[in-house]
Amino acid sequence: MVPVLGRALILLTLFLATAGAMVGFAAGARRTAAGFAWTRRFAYAFAAAMVLTNALMVYALLARDFSVAYVAQVGSHAVPNWVAVVSLWSSLEGSILFWGLVLGLYIAAATWTTRDAPGDQMSYAAAVWLATGACFAFLLAGPAQPFGTMDPPPLDGPGPNPLLQNHLLMIAHPPFLYLGFVGMTIPFGLASAALLTGRLGHDFVRPLRTWLMVPWTFLTVAIVLGGWWAYEVLGWGGYWAWDPVENASFLPWLTATAAVHSGVLMERKGTLKGWTVTLIQATFLLTILGTFMTRSGVFNSVHSFTQSAIGPALLGFLGLGLVWSVTLLALRIDRLSSPVAVGVARSREGLFLVNNLLFVLFTFTVLIGTVFPLIVEATQNVQMSVGRPYFDRMAVPIGVTLLLLLGIGPALPWGRASAADMKRALLPPLGATALAGALGYALGVRNGWTLVTIAFGGYALHVTLHQLWLPAARRMSAGFGEAFAELARLRRRTAAYVVHLGAIVVIVSIAVSSTEGESVEAQLVPGETTTVGAYTLTFQSAEEIEQPHRISVVAHVAVTKDGRDLGLIKPRMNHYRSQRQPIGTPAVRTQAFEDLYLSVMNIDAANQRLGLLAIVKPMVGWIWIGTGIMALGGLLVLWPARRVVPPLATPVVTEGA
Amino acid sequence: MNRKVLIAGLAIILPLLGILFLNLGRDPRAIDSPLIGKPAPAFALPTTEGTAAISLDDMKGRVVVVNFWATWCVPCLQEHEVLLRGAREYSEQAHFVGVIYQDELPQVQRFVQRRGQAYPSLFDADGKMAIAYGVGGVPETYFISPNGIITDKYAGPLSHRELARLVDKASRWGS
Repeated sequence: MVPVLGRALILLTLFLATAGAMVGFAAGARRTAAGFAWTRRFAYAFAAAMVLTNALMVYALLARDFSVAYVAQVGSHAVPNWVAVVSLWSSLEGSILFWGLVLGLYIAAATWTTRDAPGDQMSYAAAVWLATGACFAFLLAGPAQPFGTMDPPPLDGPGPNPLLQNHLLMIAHPPFLYLGFVGMTIPFGLASAALLTGRLGHDFVRPLRTWLMVPWTFLTVAIVLGGWWAYEVLGWGGYWAWDPVENASFLPWLTATAAVHSGVLMERKGTLKGWTVTLIQATFLLTILGTFMTRSGVFNSVHSFTQSAIGPALLGFLGLGLVWSVTLLALRIDRLSSPVAVGVARSREGLFLVNNLLFVLFTFTVLIGTVFPLIVEATQNVQMSVGRPYFDRMAVPIGVTLLLLLGIGPALPWGRASAADMKRALLPPLGATALAGALGYALGVRNGWTLVTIAFGGYALHVTLHQLWLPAARRMSAGFGEAFAELARLRRRTAAYVVHLGAIVVIVSIAVSSTEGESVEAQLVPGETTTVGAYTLTFQSAEEIEQPHRISVVAHVAVTKDGRDLGLIKPRMNHYRSQRQPIGTPAVRTQAFEDLYLSVMNIDAANQRLGLLAIVKPMVGWIWIGTGIMALGGLLVLWPARRVVPPLATPVVTEGA
Repeated sequence: MNRKVLIAGLAIILPLLGILFLNLGRDPRAIDSPLIGKPAPAFALPTTEGTAAISLDDMKGRVVVVNFWATWCVPCLQEHEVLLRGAREYSEQAHFVGVIYQDELPQVQRFVQRRGQAYPSLFDADGKMAIAYGVGGVPETYFISPNGIITDKYAGPLSHRELARLVDKASRWGS
C-alpha cells in the first residue's frame, strides 16, 4: 500500500514539475497574467506534493514498514525513533527524496517572496526552478526509486550507516549542506530569468542578492560542520583534508562568495551584471558537479555514497545545465553589459574586482586539483591523488591576500581616492597590524605565513570594527539607544561587517591551529605516562565494551595540567560490524585557547597496551565560534526590514503648507 | 551572440564533461592490482591443523577463492558466514582456501573450534604469501580462474551476491 502510494506521489511531483516548467516558459514568453498565476500555482503544488511524499516516507520509517525498499535498506526495530527519522537522509535514495523536499520548500518560499516582481521574469525563474525539480523527480521515479516494493517484506532491517549514529554533528551536517546546495537553484533561476528577458533592473537585483545570501549562509555553516565532524570523529586531529567531496562543497562556496561581492557593485553602481550572473550560474553548476561527485562513485572518498545508476543521470543533468548556461550567456550577456566603466584602480570598486578575480582563481585551483587525478587515470590508467601540499601551497597565499583585501577594501572610499584620502584611510590600522604581529610573536608563533596572517588579521580587525561602529559613533551624542537604532537601520551594512568579523576570526584560527601546537605518539602500558605541552597523560587501563552494533575498546587516560587534575579522558576505538576498518572516536577537551586531543592509534584490551596520539592544538574552538559569527551576520542580512510605518499611525504635520 | 563567451565556456565545459564521462562506471572499491589478468603466484603452505601442505597446483582445474583473514579482524568474522555458505554452494565449481594474516596459531585454532570451517586455512607464518599477492589489509579475497589467472581482488567483507558474481566470472575467464 505505502510503496504504491509513494510511487504515485513521485509521479505526481514529476508531472507537476514538468508541466509547471512548460507553463512557466510559455508564460514568460507570452506575458499573460493567467500564465503567471498558473506558474505560481504549479510551484506551490510541486512543493506540497514533495512535502507529502517525504511525510509518507517518514511515516514508513517510523512504522518500520519493511515493504518499502528504502525502509528495508536503512530501517530497523533496534534503533530509536529519532534515528529512524534522520535515516531519511542517511542513504542515497532517501537523500535525493530529502533533496526534493528542500527544493520544494525553497521554490514555494521564493515564489511567495517574489510575487510582486515582474511577471515574465518570475515565470521564467519558476520555470527554471521547476525544471530542476523535474530532473530530481525523474531520478526518484527511475534510478533512485525509494518506494520500491519488498515482497515478501523482511522482518527487520539493518539500520542506517553506523557513522550517522556516531556523532550528533553528522545528523546536522547533511541538512545544512542540502539547504546550501539546493538553495543555489533559486539565484540560478533568477539569473536565468534576467538573461532570458535581457533585463536586470533594480527591482530584480534585491531578490537576487537576498536569495543568494540564504543558501550562502547555510553552505558556510555546512562546510564548517563537516570539518568539525571530521575533527571530532576521524581521529587524525585535523578538520580539512582537501578530499574530493570536501572540495565539492567548497567550490560553489567560492563562486557564491565572489557573487555576493560583485552583487554589491551591481546594486550600488549598476555594473558587473553579466559577470555576477555568470558567477551565479557557475555556482549552481558546481553544486550539481558536487552532487555528481558524491553520488556517482567516480571519486573515492570517505564521505561518498557508493556507486549507483544515478551517476549517468546526474552527468546528463550536469551536461544539460552547462550547455544551457553557456548558450544563454553567449546569447544574452551583451544585453546586460554595464553602461558605466568599472575600473578605478585606487578605489573600493577596484578592490572588489581584485577580490573577485582571486575567488575565481581559487575556484580554478581547487577544481584542477580535484579533477586532475581523473585526467591522469583516464589517459594513463594509473591511480593517483593530488595531496595536501599542492592545495596548501596554492590556498595559503590566496587566502592571505584575501584577508589583506578584507582589511584594505572597506577602508578605501568609493570612487577615485586622492593620495591624502588613501593615507588617511590606510595608515591608522597599521598600529593594530604591528600589535597583532608582535602579540603572535610573543606567544611563540614563528611560522612566517602565520605571523603575516595574524598581522593582516589585526589590520582587518581594526578596519572592520571601525566601519561597524562608524554609523553608531555619529549618533552616540543622541544616546546609546539611538546609536543602536542606527546600526539596525543600516542592517545590511552592519551584517556585512559582522560576517567579515567572523571571517577574520576563522582565517586567523585556521592559520594558527594548522601550524602551531604539539603532538606526541606513545606506546603505553598501564601506569606509564607521556607528556604533551603542559599536559601529563597517564594510561590507566583499556576496557572492552560489546554493543549490538559494535565492539569498542576504551582507553582510560588520566590528565593533569601543571599538576592540576583534569580528570579522565576516554578516547576509544570502535569496530563496527558493517565496516572493514575500525573507526576511532577521539576525545577532545576544548578550552578557551587550545584543545587537548587524544586519539587511539591501536589498543589491545587483552594485553592492556595503548598506542596513543596526543595533540595540543591552539585556537581550534575559535574556528567554530568565528563561523557562528559569520552565520549570525548572514541571519542579520535576511532579517526582514522594519516595515515602513503606515501614514495613519503617524499623522504628518504639514507646517507652513 | 557573444562568441568569446561561447568559446571560453565550451573550452571549460567540454573537457570537464569528457573526463567525468570517461571515469563513469568505475568502482572505487574494486582495487586495482597489477596481478589481475596475470598468473597467480604459486604457494605451498601448511594448514592450521598441521596436515600436509596445500599448493596452488593441487587445486588447478577449478576456480580458487583465496581469502586472507585474521581472528582479530571484526569484518572477517562477519564475512565468515558468507564464506562458509559459499564454500558449500560452490563445492563443485571452486576450491576455497583461507590464509591467516598476521595472527597466532593457537588463537586461530580456538576460533575454528568455536565457529567451524568448511575449507582449510593456510598458515602464512612469515607473511611471504601476503607479500606476493600484495595484500593491503584484511579481509581481502582473490579469485583465480581454473587455469591459474587472477581475475579479481576484492577488499572488505564480501556479500553473498558479490561472491557468487566473482566466482562465476572466474569460472568463465578466458572462455
